[in-house]
Amino acid sequence: MRQMKLFLGPQHPGMHGNASVHIYAEGDIIKRSYLLPGMLHRGFEKGMERHTWMNNIGLIPRVCVVEPDINEMAFAMGVEMLANIEVPERAHYLRMVILELARISIHLMSYGGLGGPTGLYTLMYHAHADRNRILNIFEKITGHRVYHMYIVPGGVRKDFPVGIENDIHEFLNDLESRYTEYRDLGIENPTVLARIKDNIMLPESVVWELGVTGVGMRSAVNKPYDLRKVKPYARYSEVEFDVPVYDYSDARNRVDIKLNELVQSIGIIRQCLEKMPTGPVRAKVGNGQSMRWTVPKGQVYSCVESSRGEFGYYIVSDGGTHPYRVGVRGASYPQGLLGIEKYMPGTRIDDAPLWIDTMGVCSPEIDR
Amino acid sequence: MMNSMNNVEFLNELVNSKFNVVKTEIINAEQMSFIVDSRDVHTLLTLLKTSGWKQLSYLSAIDWIKEDEFELVYIVFNWDRPVHIQVRTRIKRDRENASFETIIPIYPGAKYYEREVHEFFGIKFPGNPDFHKQLILENWDDMPPLLKDFDPRAYSDSHFEKRDYPEKHINLNNQESKQEKRQKRNLKSLLLRNGGKK
Amino acid sequence: MKKVNSIFTPWRLLKYLFKKPITIPFTKIFTQKNANYLNQNSIIKLNSRLDSEPREGADNIRGFHTNDWEECIGCGTCADICPTEAIFMAERLELPNEDGKLQQRPTIDYGRCCFCALCVDTCTTDSLKMSKEYIYSNSDPDAFLFMPTDTFEGQKVKEGYVKDEVSDLLDLKRVENPHELPEERKSSFVEIVRGYSKEFARLEAARCVECGVCTSACPVHMHIPQYIKAIWEDDIDGALRQVYETNPLPGVCGRVCTHNCETSCAIAVRGEAIAIRWLKRYIIDSAPDDMYENIILEPVSDVIDAKVAIVGSGPAGLGAAYYLRVMGYKVDVYEELSLAGGVMRYGIPAYRLPDTAIDKDINFIKHIGVNIKTNTRVGRDITMDQLEQDYDAVFLGTGFMKPRGLNIPGADHNRVVGAMEFLPKVREFERGNLSLEDIDVAENVVVIGGGDVAFDVARSATRLQMLKYGKSSVKLTSLENEDSLPATFDEYVEGAEEGVEFFCGNGPQEVVVENGKILGLKLWKCLCIFDEKGGFNPEFDKECEQIIEGEQIFIAIGQAPDYDYIPESIKDKISINRGKIEASIDGQVKDVPWLFVGGDILRGPDLIGGVSDGHRSAKAIDAYLYENAKKQDISDSLKAMREAVKESSPELTIRQGGKK
Ligand SMILES: Cc1cc2nc3c(=O)[nH]c(=O)nc-3n(C[C@H](O)[C@H](O)[C@H](O)COP(=O)(O)OP(=O)(O)OC[C@H]3O[C@@H](n4cnc5c(N)ncnc54)[C@H](O)[C@@H]3O)c2cc1C
Ligand code: SF4
Ligand code: SF4
Repeated sequence: MRQMKLFLGPQHPGMHGNASVHIYAEGDIIKRSYLLPGMLHRGFEKGMERHTWMNNIGLIPRVCVVEPDINEMAFAMGVEMLANIEVPERAHYLRMVILELARISIHLMSYGGLGGPTGLYTLMYHAHADRNRILNIFEKITGHRVYHMYIVPGGVRKDFPVGIENDIHEFLNDLESRYTEYRDLGIENPTVLARIKDNIMLPESVVWELGVTGVGMRSAVNKPYDLRKVKPYARYSEVEFDVPVYDYSDARNRVDIKLNELVQSIGIIRQCLEKMPTGPVRAKVGNGQSMRWTVPKGQVYSCVESSRGEFGYYIVSDGGTHPYRVGVRGASYPQGLLGIEKYMPGTRIDDAPLWIDTMGVCSPEIDR
Repeated sequence: MMNSMNNVEFLNELVNSKFNVVKTEIINAEQMSFIVDSRDVHTLLTLLKTSGWKQLSYLSAIDWIKEDEFELVYIVFNWDRPVHIQVRTRIKRDRENASFETIIPIYPGAKYYEREVHEFFGIKFPGNPDFHKQLILENWDDMPPLLKDFDPRAYSDSHFEKRDYPEKHINLNNQESKQEKRQKRNLKSLLLRNGGKK
Repeated sequence: MKKVNSIFTPWRLLKYLFKKPITIPFTKIFTQKNANYLNQNSIIKLNSRLDSEPREGADNIRGFHTNDWEECIGCGTCADICPTEAIFMAERLELPNEDGKLQQRPTIDYGRCCFCALCVDTCTTDSLKMSKEYIYSNSDPDAFLFMPTDTFEGQKVKEGYVKDEVSDLLDLKRVENPHELPEERKSSFVEIVRGYSKEFARLEAARCVECGVCTSACPVHMHIPQYIKAIWEDDIDGALRQVYETNPLPGVCGRVCTHNCETSCAIAVRGEAIAIRWLKRYIIDSAPDDMYENIILEPVSDVIDAKVAIVGSGPAGLGAAYYLRVMGYKVDVYEELSLAGGVMRYGIPAYRLPDTAIDKDINFIKHIGVNIKTNTRVGRDITMDQLEQDYDAVFLGTGFMKPRGLNIPGADHNRVVGAMEFLPKVREFERGNLSLEDIDVAENVVVIGGGDVAFDVARSATRLQMLKYGKSSVKLTSLENEDSLPATFDEYVEGAEEGVEFFCGNGPQEVVVENGKILGLKLWKCLCIFDEKGGFNPEFDKECEQIIEGEQIFIAIGQAPDYDYIPESIKDKISINRGKIEASIDGQVKDVPWLFVGGDILRGPDLIGGVSDGHRSAKAIDAYLYENAKKQDISDSLKAMREAVKESSPELTIRQGGKK
């Protein structure tokens, strides 16, 4: 049969971010496929070497558009590790609230994203509208809706504004009450289910081969492999939550895990709001004015559990005012590049966007 | 915590008994690094993989230009014994010929990481079928950009038009610029530091 | 109960159709200005746009910046920190030229700004804030270049993101410099301030934002931010070179300078100024002698065949001598007293400025070939006429070394002592040239005066009393109230710590003498010091009279010059105004062109002012002599050095009455 070359993206409703997948298809079956990144390359790793430790906070959140906070967190944790900084107790909880709100927002977005490839735009509208409310909360806390530049080495930039707890509770309660509706609309909806059940499989062997983490891994290996549990950072050891898992990774189960995690996040945020102590929220990173802060020599890898898996920063300091090198491990790097090359073939063309969505491929973190 | 400290000891035991590790750093209970001779990298990674460090979390390089060396960093992780291990080694910073045997046979996921390192540092990875292909930098026409001697400002100055700002906000009030004078003087005083030599 | 999934279940979401949307329609988010702008510039004109009411941002929102120009000092720290290089400092020379301010203000390119607010968090003055305005559109990219003022697009706007203590990126607290404790220090002349260790100096240096507002406030325009940076980078060698370009007395100035720089420091707007003086001292204290050898690029041999005589080895004289020497002249300094240094040697007490520090600076000046002839008074050991004959130019820096008396009843008593009569003896005592018995200090003394000199007297007297009697009793009285003393605040605090009692706000009326002995000083309350025209004309309240006890009175109300050494023939040609000789900005006397003056007899009032006069005069003397002098071949490096001296010759500061 004649092979046909197709481009999925960079402009495509099913494509996440400005990357494109080159597809060679026979009939409607993909025979060969490659991700073509680079359309979003902003030279962040180079740029970070040329900014001071503090100035980098203008840059780092921009690595990932929808979930910027994990960047701030991983960077901050790395610097704190290098400089041996004790983060104030309250700051840990504030950070967790931010991180979990961000997780909810991106899970909503990705769940809504299911609407693109399945033609169910209602889902997307609803998810985005609710995400917008999280952005309102972010705006109140940090002064920004998307790139918060809030979690900084040493703690957070400012304490929470008075009364923000009410906004958060109100939103969480509301989201919780609509949770079944969300499920009904998407994952329980027979038209959607037909597309995602037993489709787009991710066997355990592939997980290990590629190095897939996060939802993909947990849906396949049936173990709570979540960095928040395995290697707790901030104060995740102080809050109770479950890690949803499956031993059978089809698209449906992966989406289901995301929805379950959303519920868990709601619980974590509530516990944080209840448990957070009062006190300072930021520790000193360096001496003098911020452009002269130095960080001791060393090399560390710091990582957090993002919505797509292990997201890490490799930070090298030569003892100066600027990082010597910063490397970013995008969580979806393995499945986004090698995964698409090796395991997307065999999928039907119309499932390709679903593949990308449910595998959690995010091109900005691949490009950087 | 108790448990995780044991992990570090376990690893110390495991690696240091079999290898001549140049330097072991314990960063905390959940992270340590082994700096080894470049010949030992593959066997060490194989050992770690068979001991449960099944996941390659990250692979990259650092350009130590002053020491004329590249440092290769492999980070592996074991979900059951949660310690991130950095395996690091240094190779000569040979701009044309720096190369290092691929680790695809040990960690197949390294394929694209190595390709990226080649693109950004110019290090070759024999054994990796695609390492030489361009990945992110389309039509790149300069040295690999993460090399320390690559100057992005000079690059963009030579490739893109510089934006001229309108001077509408400046008001010199018919006097000569004091800002320029200050800048000149500051520049001079910088030269003074090494005795006026450039 | 098992849920039945039906393709109809999702239809229940239809209920939301009739709810109020939680998103905001695009057409409703414009400001009036932008709505107008869009309606004028796009094909479609929308009325809905016009009556749009943009949603107000959160209280904390990082919208467009506002900058209060009254508060902003143009330091440019915001521009330095900006990670996107969105800010540049636009010069505004129509703004008043004031100490501690630069005539420039930030301009922001919103095509680059990422709204990180780092500029707000680091602003030295808190003038830069963010507003709640976040909507703006225009098709002209240049229209995104804003110069924030306290309004946005000409309208008053609500405040958004501002910095608080947590988000502040500056370090407002000074690194402590260890001081001797009051109880210990008051019985000896040991230097009080111990000086920074390397670690502390670097910590202190790390606070500097390199804005340079201090430079123009310094009478010699030292490269302050640059040498602080060198300290921070642990480059003492480089720092020393930078220091010596503008100041040949850094060790002295690092201890006792009046530090106009610190007064104008940008960090001082909200916090404690960088300890610029102590950092300078740190450079000198930690520079070994052989490093000094290295900073002389090439030994200066006499290359210009012209000779200059300098009268007086105070800071003005030494400053002139140093720079003339570097420019290649043969320089002889005549000094009446046995040690060079002027007031630093014979006025300022050793607990503030030990001899070793003065020696270090002056030795280097000698080392480059300045010839200092001590114990030689011009007018006695050599005449001015002789100098005129032997030299091509003469520089006078003879200072105000004579005490000034007070005209009140009883002031002619021999236990009424002038400050500059007493202090030289104190220094000689400290050097071991005088014994305790040689100096007359009573058990109870009164000091008249509220300036630094009065404190020097009071605190020196305290020390001598402690040594003589084991206890101290010193009263200080001044016309000014305690909150407006002309002395530096540190002097006041440290003096109080050492037990000086204050009777401020009173005017001395009479030294009460009985049977030839002083009993005390009669004071009247001082109502005001200056008259309406601003002239010195104190008014007193006779009703409020008190007598403070003391057997000895010190007068520290100012010093006077001594022009006896100037022959009448020259005196006829110069005019002296309030003790100061009139001359051009760089010290040249109009009718006696070979005569130059500087220091207290020209301008005053402090050491560094003297150095700056000396430097300016050196340049002027060179201009006066160079053309007609015979020259040897000048090496390139000397040429460079000559150029550097001329170029670095300072302009007058605003305080010194430099141009507005
Ligand atoms: C007690 C006191 C404390 C002070 N503290 C400070 C301070 O902390 N910080 C500060 O910045 N300023 C201080 N000042 C002010 C400062 O000392 C003077 O402004 C400065 O010294 C003036 O320098 P000058 O070069 O004009 O002369 P001076 O330092 O007054 O030196 C004049 C020199 O000329 C010599 N001389 C005079 N006549 C003749 C002659 N005919 N022949 C030969 N030699 C002659 C004198 O012996 C003297 O050595 C203080 C002043 C006093 C009196
Ligand atoms: S907000 Fe950030 S990017 Fe914008 S001008 Fe200020 S420092 Fe620069
Ligand atoms: S940092 Fe503040 S005071 Fe300094 S120039 Fe900027 S706005 Fe003005």
